[in-house]
Amino acid sequence: MFGYLQPDKSELRIKEDELYKSVYCGLCRHLGRDYGFMAKMTLSYDCTVFAMLALSLENSNCKVNKASCTLNPAKKCLYCSSDSKAFELAGALSVIMAYYKMSDTISDSGLFKRIGAGTGRLLLSRSYRKASGAYPSIDAIASKMIDKQYEAEANCVGLDESSEATAKGVSQVCRMLSDDPSVQQILEVFGYYVGRWVYLMDAADDLEKDIKHHNFNPFIPKYNETGKNTEETMLYCNEVLNLTVSQIVLSYDLLPVDRFSPILDNVVYNGIPAQQKLRLFDKYKKGKEEKNRDYSDELF
Amino acid sequence: MDPYKVLGVSPDATDDEVKQAYRKLAKKYHPDRYQNSPLAESASEKMKEINAAYDQITNQRKNGGASASGSYYGSYSDGTASGGGSTRFGNVRILISQGNYSQAEEILNSVPSTERDAEWYYLMGVVVYHKGWLEEANNYIATACSMDPGNAEYRSMYNRIQAQRRGSGGGYNVSTGSGCTGHICTDVCGCLTCLLCMNLCNRSGS
Repeated sequence: MFGYLQPDKSELRIKEDELYKSVYCGLCRHLGRDYGFMAKMTLSYDCTVFAMLALSLENSNCKVNKASCTLNPAKKCLYCSSDSKAFELAGALSVIMAYYKMSDTISDSGLFKRIGAGTGRLLLSRSYRKASGAYPSIDAIASKMIDKQYEAEANCVGLDESSEATAKGVSQVCRMLSDDPSVQQILEVFGYYVGRWVYLMDAADDLEKDIKHHNFNPFIPKYNETGKNTEETMLYCNEVLNLTVSQIVLSYDLLPVDRFSPILDNVVYNGIPAQQKLRLFDKYKKGKEEKNRDYSDELF
Repeated sequence: MDPYKVLGVSPDATDDEVKQAYRKLAKKYHPDRYQNSPLAESASEKMKEINAAYDQITNQRKNGGASASGSYYGSYSDGTASGGGSTRFGNVRILISQGNYSQAEEILNSVPSTERDAEWYYLMGVVVYHKGWLEEANNYIATACSMDPGNAEYRSMYNRIQAQRRGSGGGYNVSTGSGCTGHICTDVCGCLTCLLCMNLCNRSGS
């Protein structure tokens, strides 16, 4: 999807980082095995987190082996594998979402991007057919999500309404991770706010680009209201995102996660704030200011 | 279910360690944190589970002596439900307390714009907050507060939302320059939770 859901590596223990990487490589391997080589190009951090959540909720056993990387044979890496549906589901999600994202790019971008996305979509079409055939429900959710998004953006709606399509899509996909109705209800709420956060995070991150290209962005009214002050607008974006995160945390705290919980905790409690800091504030800092990290409070 | 597993401690844990684990979880799933959340019911279930586990352990350790003081922090103080029929929108408040948010929204929407008072804005805020439209909820609650600045109920929800916007419930806090590192960050930052902590300390003495 967008790469916003990932752990804050500086806060991970070394063995947790290894396990996280092994899920990333494991998903890559499963993508190749289930949906063909091209499907590996859709690998993302978001789907890795999704796979980890799926593995955690299933509480099934997974093995970690060492093998050489298929993209870089000189490198050996740890990869996690499991007989459960977790990787299959995360892989299908990854392929289907990437396919729709490319279709979206084809419909509303400049010529060069359109050619790139068109080629990508063509190369991915076989994987897509396989994934949507295996998981028609994910395909239906993704297709509806893109349609609703298009509709909302054409009507230039506000923050809540514009993020609703992604929020509902992620909510429905997360619901699939359990058969227990009480857990499904928590997953629906969790997915709703995660989807909302990802959409709004992407909007805040793309604000400058969208203004330049006259694209829809739900934060533009606020930007104009502040007299086109980027810093002030980003402080506002951060408030909007924090309010959403408060609801992610509440629902996450109720999920019965056990395995992978240190990494998933990190994503929710550290990774999300770190992404907000990086994309809303650090991005605008220049040169030295950005590079010199101040550790004085953290280490002593 | 194994009560030690519920509290996440080993059976060898000391009484103090059990109490500490219990308090931490009781804060995490406290009804105040889940006010107006669609998951209030799930949190309440979790709370009951934790209370029962703690009761069971304390009873076992007293060698089957007198039963412990019963439930602790599980009671629900649903702010929106109180008042019943005494206010103008008593019927809407009842629907909300029953979890029937869509019908509550329907009734509120049918009120002509000239007859919308502070309570209408407040309840509308509660309804849209529940369905996840947090920014609209923020605007409604702010309007309710400006129309009736002395109302404690409206003010309390307004303050809670503002604290969450600053990062008290997770996310990036600009003034401290950090994300939250604790698991239950709300309980460290929010002023509501300071009261809660005091409450916990007082009760633990008894």
